[in-house]
Parts: sequence; structure tokens; C-alpha cells
Amino acid sequence: MNRALLRLSLACLAMFALLLININYVQAFETTKLAGEPGNVRIFDQQFKYQRGAILANGDGTDVKIADSQLIKGTDTYRRVYPFPKVYAPVTGYDTIYGQSGIEETENSLLNGTDPRLAVHNFTALLTGKQKQGATVELTISPAAQLAAYQALLADGGHPAAVVALDPTSGRVLALASYPTFNPNVLTTFNGTKFNQIDKALINAPGQPLLNRAISETYPPGSSFKVVTSSAAFSTHKVANTSSLVPAPTVLTLPNGHHLINDGGEVCGNGNPQIIQAFYMSCNTAFGKLGMSLTAPVLRDYSSKFGMNAPMRIPLPVVPSVVPEVQGWTDPSLTAFTAIGQFNDAVTPMQEAMFSAAIANNGTLMKPYMVQQVKGPGLSVIESQTPSVLSQAVSPTVAGYMKSMMQQVTNNPGGTAFATASPQATGGIVIYGKTGTAQNGIDNGNLNDAVFTCFVPVEANAPRPIAVGVIVQGGGFGADAAAPIAVALIKAYEQAHG
Amino acid sequence: MTAAAHADQPVPMPRGRRRTELLLLIFALAVVLFAYVAVGLGLNGKVPPGIPGYILVFALLMLAAHVAIRRFAPFADPLMLPLAALLNGLGIVMIYRLQESGRDGNPGNQVTLITTSATKLQLLYSGIGVLGLVLVLVLISETRVLARYTYTLGAIGLFLLAIPALLPSSHSVVNGAKVWIKFGGFSIQPGEFARLAIAVFLAGYLVAKRDVLALAGRRFLGIDLPRARDLGPVLIAWVASMLILIFETDIGQSALFFGMFIVMLYIATQRTSWLLIGFGLFVAGTLVIAKLVQHVGERFTVWLHPFAGSNPTGIAYQNVQGLEGMAFGGLFGTGLGHGQPFFTPLVQSDFIFTAFGEELGLTGAMALLLIFGLLVQRGLRAAIAVKDPFSKVLAGGLSFVLALQVFVIVGGVSGLIPLTGVTTPFLSQGGSSLVASWILIALLIRTSNSARKPAPQPIQDEGMTQVVRAA
Repeated sequence: MNRALLRLSLACLAMFALLLININYVQAFETTKLAGEPGNVRIFDQQFKYQRGAILANGDGTDVKIADSQLIKGTDTYRRVYPFPKVYAPVTGYDTIYGQSGIEETENSLLNGTDPRLAVHNFTALLTGKQKQGATVELTISPAAQLAAYQALLADGGHPAAVVALDPTSGRVLALASYPTFNPNVLTTFNGTKFNQIDKALINAPGQPLLNRAISETYPPGSSFKVVTSSAAFSTHKVANTSSLVPAPTVLTLPNGHHLINDGGEVCGNGNPQIIQAFYMSCNTAFGKLGMSLTAPVLRDYSSKFGMNAPMRIPLPVVPSVVPEVQGWTDPSLTAFTAIGQFNDAVTPMQEAMFSAAIANNGTLMKPYMVQQVKGPGLSVIESQTPSVLSQAVSPTVAGYMKSMMQQVTNNPGGTAFATASPQATGGIVIYGKTGTAQNGIDNGNLNDAVFTCFVPVEANAPRPIAVGVIVQGGGFGADAAAPIAVALIKAYEQAHG
Repeated sequence: MTAAAHADQPVPMPRGRRRTELLLLIFALAVVLFAYVAVGLGLNGKVPPGIPGYILVFALLMLAAHVAIRRFAPFADPLMLPLAALLNGLGIVMIYRLQESGRDGNPGNQVTLITTSATKLQLLYSGIGVLGLVLVLVLISETRVLARYTYTLGAIGLFLLAIPALLPSSHSVVNGAKVWIKFGGFSIQPGEFARLAIAVFLAGYLVAKRDVLALAGRRFLGIDLPRARDLGPVLIAWVASMLILIFETDIGQSALFFGMFIVMLYIATQRTSWLLIGFGLFVAGTLVIAKLVQHVGERFTVWLHPFAGSNPTGIAYQNVQGLEGMAFGGLFGTGLGHGQPFFTPLVQSDFIFTAFGEELGLTGAMALLLIFGLLVQRGLRAAIAVKDPFSKVLAGGLSFVLALQVFVIVGGVSGLIPLTGVTTPFLSQGGSSLVASWILIALLIRTSNSARKPAPQPIQDEGMTQVVRAA
């Protein structure tokens, strides 16, 4: 019988081994997954019992607290506070009892201290009896640029609009503003019923204040897409250089019998101008014809080099800007419209900034990012971002051609943005850019969207290079509605770093 | 070695190791004391007011058990009592912690099923348990004398088991399981005691019939199948456990009965085929019943997909709360009094292990499992060392059923196997389980005493021939 009993004791040992392995799995390996299960009442109950990490904007060299956790007097509960709620709402998002958005969402595990990289610190805190604390997230956002962007959007007078500013040399996001926006402080209530009321009101509010137009919504790029078309033409040697002549008839008859005309039906130079003139005057016929000779797939390839046709995380999710491969998209008659940023082209304001950023950085597009570094409660750096290349949009030579052309848009008295973005208009700051006035809606029945993509070149000896993209929904002319917003932002940024 | 050389060696006097037991017991009591203080400090930063009373009563109970062992089983295994005392004491501490949450300014939610007298009651049950231990030691001088009552105890066991099934639901159902006898404010779970009685019956029956049962029939796939006619008792046990499953909707209890039966059969006959046949029958039977009985089938769904769809807020709510609690505890736990085990329904009984996992962490939960494992291994050691077959089979079966009970409930709450409602030995709130666990330990202590007792010394040295002088 002893043989059976010995075997039995091995079986018992195996049973206990299985239990030990299983609780190790649950309590050591699966903790993060279980903590993240929706409706985890323990995590829910704990989340306001200790200090959530702050969010800082450090783009101007000093830390500006844009989200903080403060102890409510006489309780053991912390409440999230946003010192500049509406200015930074598209950046921070909100932290509520039922969930997060924005940076609060993407960096949630670091801010609330559950990230495995904080485990050592949390353990030390447990042993020393200190309170658990979340990590501090430091953003690349420039408070000066962000505030100017918000105020400019507000001053514009009620059009839904968004603006994004990038440091072209690194990809750092300097400003990201959207209008209309919301006050995240009203969402930090602990009262579930009250929260649901406020949330419902925001969701149903006119103008969709919760929508982050800078990265979550796309608009037709209009003539600003000519940056891509020109880059493709230079890169494929369809056009040799900026003084090469391109045909630009007043009326371009398309293969399907439709007509393409310039804005207001105006004449483009002598009908066969240098490409640089066609660019600063933004002649549709010249670039429509150029687009047809390039073909739609080539235009799409070059748009991809500028970061289009792919989703992106900065770490906020950015919806893809697209030249979509819809049915019949290679039809030359439609390609003529694709080439001037119409037909089915759709871009985010972020993408508009990326067009300029690539050109400003000699053709190299840096990957946009917002989180500069994350610091643990002991101020040790947990995570630090270094710039990386997203793609080589164009060669430095082609980028040089594009710079000359974009310079003329703002500096040539005949350029579309001379009135609003020339050095005379900006108080001496040199800006290169491209306007767009995009028709949209069914049968182009809506008001035109105003688009402006621009940058301060390194060569201009301004304190800092910066690339900006602006889209004002229903704003009309790009130069009139969108360019002043970009100029205001750039002025504020350069002043802060001057 | 010559006889003379042998005679020169001092004969090692077997030691009872009672002093070791006392030291270990004091250590266990100290752990319980500190845990109790930690609960108070964790809850509201104060040492619990009732501390001298609770700890003194508990310490006196355990010391009484120690004295009884000293007197009636002086050669018993010195580890069993301290291990059981530690588990019992920690169980009381956790029940106190759950009882206090949400009351008298302590943070947390109130667990409505736990009354303010829960700790006192659990202490009272511990007293009854120790009384049971003492009675077993006093009344049963050797484990094997129980063999005389094989059929009497078998009948008592079956009767106890059947009562809840026969009683109307109003007197037998608590939390969906029809395993109780409930009259007025008083309720007991007869199955806990039935298991012990049936273990004695099985040991007696199997030892008497083991030669027949061990006879081989045909050989198939390398295992010796028993003869068809000898399958009778196994089939009867299988049908009985399946009937418990259906009428008392209690997979846990039926798994314990069946597992115990098969293992005792295996110890008695040494035939691996019994294990395989038994295990196969149980799994097949359970799967069929899972398809037929919704209550049982649900357990499988909850086990496989606890987080799917609306399960976390519906049928899997309890399991999910238990798992999330354990995960929240992580490696080192929140500390006693700092967690929120009260979110898990029935945390004081079936799910008490998850409360330990949450507040003492993985380290504490592993320590508890090791204590159980050690207790089981000491029981099996006694079974191996004891001479008579009846005691071997009984002690082996009881040790195994203790291990199986821990496996079924801890595996169930931690998602290793489908959850079945059995109590956690010594830890869970409730008298029946606690008293039965103490009696089980008493039987193992008694067996280990028989195993370790030195053989009676011969009156005289056989090496010497007595000289009879002729007158």
C-alpha cells in the first residue's frame, strides 16, 4: 500500500503545484490585464484616492502645469483640475470617473501609477508607508503657441477650426488647438448622474465641442495639396526646376468634357508661365494638367511620402489623411481634381502642418510626437522621446525648389498670401507657405474651407523654426481666414523664444 | 554486529516531540496575534479593542488541544496542531476584518451577511472543533478500532448525506445549494460530517474486500482492467455522487466524495486502472450533467469566459470580483484592512482565499497553500508509517480529501477549474466545516500517534537465557 500512498503524495504535490502556478499567474503576470478590465470596481474605487500625475507643457523651456490633482479639503479624495481648461482641452482631454480621453487616456497607466515601470517605486512607497503617486507627463507643447492658437481661433468668430504647429527639425508638436472646445473641469465631478447629464449635453452640443478637429477630422486640402503635386513633378523630373514653363490655360477641357478653371476664372500669367508663378498664383489649370501627366497612383505615392494614407499616434490617435483609392480614381479627368486637392482628397490640420514641416526640414519628415518625457514620482525619467524620421518626403534639392516657390506665395506681391503673411504683415517674421480654398459639400454647396500650410525657414534667422497647418471650416479664402491664425501663433512662439 | 555490541549501544528513547509542538504552536499564536493587530491598524490605525479577549480564548483553546495531545497521543506528529491552529486563527482574523469593514468608522462596505457576532461565533465553533478533537483522542485509542463500526458509520454517513435532499427547500437551501439542515437560526451542513463517516466506512469495506477488488480482468492499452463484476461498488459510488450533484446541485461535494472513494480504492488495491476509470467516469458524468442541468452548465461558461459580454456583471460577477481582488493584491497585497475584499459576494465563506490573496498578496496566498500542503503531507506520512491497513487507507483518504478540498475551492476561485461551492478548510466562516476539519485532523493525529509510538519493549533481553536453578 505504501507505493500507492507515495504516488498519492506526489499527486497531492502536483495539485498544490498547479494551485501555486495558477495564483502566480493571476497575481503576478495578469495583474495589469485584470486591472484594466472595464468595470474593475477596485481600480475605480482607488483611482481618486491618490495623486494622479500632473501633465506639463514644456515647449517654452519652463514647466507649465496644465493638469493637476488636488486634495479636496477634509477628504482623502483627489480631484483633477485643469488650470487652463479650454486652451488645452484638445491636448489633455479629460479624466472622469468613467474614463479618459486625450493624453489622460493614452498615458493613463503612467499617470495613475499602474504602469509596470512604476512597480518598483510603488513597492518602495508601500514599504516606507508613503502614498502611491502617478508619474508626471511632460509635453512638447509650447504654452505661448498654444495660447495664441486658442485665442486666434476664438477671435476668428465662430467657424469650426483647428491649428497644429510642429517643430520641423524634431517633430515636436508645439500647439494643437481645436474650436469649438470644452471645459474638462466640468467633467471631473464624482456624481455619476450629474456626469451623465453634462456628458450628454456636450455630446449633443452644436459644433461638437468634444471633437478634436486637429487630428480626428479631415477636410479637403484644396490648393495646399499643390505642394504634393509640385514635389511629385520635380521628383519625377516632369518639371526640371522652378523656372520651367508649364501650360496654364484659362480653361482646361478635361477628357470627360468637363472644364477646369482657375479661381474666379482668372488668367494665369501668359498662359504658359514658369511653375513658380503658377504656384504663387495658385493656378488650377496648370496643376490639374500636371497631375494628369503624373497620374493618380504617383500623386498618391508622394502623398504617402508626406505621411498620408496611414494612421499615426502622437500618441493621440491621428486619423489618416487620404488620397483614397475609390472606384475610378485613376480616371485622368478626376486626377486633375485630385492634383489640386479636391475630388476625394481629405487631410487633417495635422497633415497640413506636416506638408510644411517636411519641406522646412529639407525634405525629411520627422515623426510628430507630444510626450517629451515621463518622470516617476521620484523625478527619475521613466520614458524619454528622441526625434525619429517618419519618411524622406523629397530630396533636399526638391525641398529647395519647394521653399523658393512657397516663399513667393507670401513674398511676391502677386502671391495669394502676400496681404496676410508677408514680412510687412507679420512684423518682419519671414514665413513661407501655401494657401488653399477648398470647395466642399455636395455639388460644392458648402462654404469654402480656408486652408493654410506654412513654416518659418531655418534660413530666415528667426529664433526657432516652426511649421503650421490651419483649417477653418467654411472660412472662405485660405489667405484671409486661415493665414492670420498661423501668423498669430508664429508671432507668439517666436516672441517667447526671442 | 554481535549481540554484545548491540547491547552496549544506548537504546534511543523515542521522543514525543511535544515540546516542539508547543514552540510551534506559540509561534502560530504569535502570527495570529500580529495579524489581528494588523487588521485594526489597517482599518483605522488603532489596535482592536477586543484583542485580549479574542486572542486569550483562542490561545487557551489551542493550548487545551495541545494538553490533550500530550495526554492522549504523546507520540503524535508535532506539526499538525500548530498548522491547523495557524489556519484556524488566520480564518478568524479575516472574518473579524470582514465583519468590521464599514462599521464604527472603519472604511469600506459592509458585507451584509456578516453580523457583528461572526467572530465570536467562529471562536465558539473553534471551541467545538477542539472539543471534537479531544473527544476523538479520548474515545478512540487506536484508529483501527473504528473498523468495528464500518457499517454503522456507513449508514450514518448516507443518512446525513440524504437529509438535505429529503427536506423541503425551505429547510435545506442556502445560497442555491441544497446541502443544509436549517431550523430557526441554526443550520448545519451534514455533508461535512457525512464525508468523515463515509471515509471510515470505505476504509473498513475496502480493506475487507481488497483482495477481490485487486483481481485483474483483461489487459487493455497497458492497464489491467478490473473484472466487470467488481465494478459494482465503483458504479454505485458514481451514481450516488451524480445523484448528489443533481438533487443537491453541489458539484464540489460530489467531487470530494467521488475523489475520496476512488483514491481509497486505489490505496487499498494499488490498481491504477481504478483511478483512470474513476476519473473518466467523473469527467464524463459531469460533462453530461453540465449539458442537462443549467446551474452546472453555467459554471463552465463562467470558468471559460468570465470576462465575455455581460458575464462580469452577470453570472461571473463573483468570480470576476475574486480574480480582480487577487490581482489588485499583486505580489505583496494591500495589507490587512487596506483592501476591498467586501466587493466579492460570499467572501467570508467560499471566496475567503481571494480575500487573503488581496490583502496578503501572492506571498501570503502562497504561504497559506504551503501550510495546507504541509498538513496534507504530514497526514500522508502518518498513513505510510502506520502499520495496519485500515488506518493506512483511512489516513490516506482523509489526507487526500483535505488536499482535494483545497484544490477544488482555491482552484475554483482562482480560475484554474470551474468554481464549485465547497468551504476552505479551517478558513471559511461556518461551524460545520470547521468542526469537521478539526475531527479530520484529530483522526490524522491519532493515526500519527499509532505510527510513531515505539513498539512495546520486550520484558527481557532475548539474548540471555534464563537460568533455572534446579533445587
